[in-house]
Amino acid sequence: MERRAAGAVAQTAPEPIAAESAHFVSAASLRLRSDWFNRMRWIAAVGMVAVSLLAVEFGRVALPRLPILLTAAVLLAMNTVYTLRNRRVPATDIRAELIVVKIQMILDLLLLTVLLGFSGGIENPFHFVYIIHVLLAGLLFKGREIRRMSLLAGLLFTAEVLGEATGLVPHRHLSSGPEMSRDWRFVSSGLAAFWLVLVACAYLSASIMRHNRTIKDDLVIRQQQLMAADKAKIDFFRYVSHEVKTPVVTAQSAVEAVLAVAGADMAEKPRDLLRRTVERLRQATEIVQGLSDLTRGPLHQGQDVRDLNLNHLIATLLDGQQSLVESRGLRVEARLPAEDVLLRASETMVEKVLGNLISNAVRYNRDGGRLTVELRDLGDAVRVSVADEGIGIRPEDLGRIFDEFYRTPEAKAASTLGTGLGLPIVKRFIEQMGGEIVVTSEPGRGSTFTATLRRS
Amino acid sequence: MKRTILVIDDDIDLVEIIRLTLESEGFGVIDAQNGARGLDLARERKPDLILLDVMMGEIDEGFQVAYELRKGDNTRDIPIIMLTAVADQTGYAFDPEKDSDFLPVDEYLEKPVSPRRLVDLVRKHLPPTI
Repeated sequence: MERRAAGAVAQTAPEPIAAESAHFVSAASLRLRSDWFNRMRWIAAVGMVAVSLLAVEFGRVALPRLPILLTAAVLLAMNTVYTLRNRRVPATDIRAELIVVKIQMILDLLLLTVLLGFSGGIENPFHFVYIIHVLLAGLLFKGREIRRMSLLAGLLFTAEVLGEATGLVPHRHLSSGPEMSRDWRFVSSGLAAFWLVLVACAYLSASIMRHNRTIKDDLVIRQQQLMAADKAKIDFFRYVSHEVKTPVVTAQSAVEAVLAVAGADMAEKPRDLLRRTVERLRQATEIVQGLSDLTRGPLHQGQDVRDLNLNHLIATLLDGQQSLVESRGLRVEARLPAEDVLLRASETMVEKVLGNLISNAVRYNRDGGRLTVELRDLGDAVRVSVADEGIGIRPEDLGRIFDEFYRTPEAKAASTLGTGLGLPIVKRFIEQMGGEIVVTSEPGRGSTFTATLRRS
Repeated sequence: MKRTILVIDDDIDLVEIIRLTLESEGFGVIDAQNGARGLDLARERKPDLILLDVMMGEIDEGFQVAYELRKGDNTRDIPIIMLTAVADQTGYAFDPEKDSDFLPVDEYLEKPVSPRRLVDLVRKHLPPTI
């Protein structure tokens, strides 16, 4: 039976609310869209070349091939620059990215107008590409910038159409029907429809994005409030745990001092009772310490990260259990690679994880049982497995052993002094380090806990 | 001659526990409940060893006392064992080797104070008698 506690980095810093949120998209996500626009431009340029060739050859449409090919060449050249920039300049500043996208859109609109001028103007169905730019402006920009971009698109198209209608710009007739570019009823109704769609699209996209921005700002504020509340909870808990621990620790020290000074002169029963009192007080201290550890992972992560020699650490932790190992006649087998395995991580967290797994394997082993600790270097991760031949875990308990304060009936029978917090701390710390823990177990035959810690 | 240990800690109960433990081992114990009084006593009585709590009135009062003791001509060489529950507050456990640069004490003793470990550490750090 196997239980896997999948690991993911549990706590990440929230995005700052300022620039990124105000623009809705982040610099990185805008760059992804920019890459997508670049791919569209490659397709557009190839399409322009293909249409100019095919329309003339097969459609018998009198399109000027050279100007269209030149326009496509300009588009290809511009897009090459855009693509190279995206590859070489990291996307870190949202404002810079927006300016670049704005310039690209303006140039696209100018090029589109030139292309329409060579390919039928109002007759060319691709004039609705202007509308696509207006939609994009609505998604990416705000208020005045959307209006400016929409106005530019509308004016460029209107100027081109009016230029052809008045004869200032030569018209290329595409359809086999009658010439319409100088028919003022057709031109005016076409332009009116165009402006109507353009304004509607600008308004709709801007209004949808305004709504989305409000939602996002609200979410960011709520996230900050939740984080502040979480921090306040942790601070409060730390304060309370310290306040509880102080008198318990003092009481423990007092009883220990009495036992040390006067224990030899006491009758056996009261002395035994005092010893039990010490154990219970120690248990209470461990519970408070354990709860404190559960709330403290992120603190450690920023605090004592260093290159850890796991071979040494495991050897030291096994040494720390030596007296218990000997008293219970356990056979310890440490399978450590000849070459030291290093891991850059919080010393406190890794020590707690491995210390808890090893002390559990000692505590819940059978007398004379084997305790095996295996360390493996996987390159991008390290794996430590701790196996015992002890009480094991029933399948129905495997899903609960990482719950705070849960102790299996067998664990309670084996030791009254556990806190039920060791494995939750192990799981929490491993997850916070971006790793995972897997447990396999057979009741009465033993358990193997395998922790994988990534080197990220 | 009785060796004298100065205990600087604002927890009176803990002071009494330490007194009971150390006096039963033949040491003399004097105490102070705050850093300023502790410094005065250290200068006046020149104890053989000082047990110093980190957090008293101020969160770093023990650190300040340690710096002052190391600056004084009469107190510079007195061994200091620092009593800490700092790991409980911060998650950071002191280490005499790693932290000697910024905190000049000879040993750290994490609370709860185990009588046996307390006596062992006091004996370990007491200067030899002349």
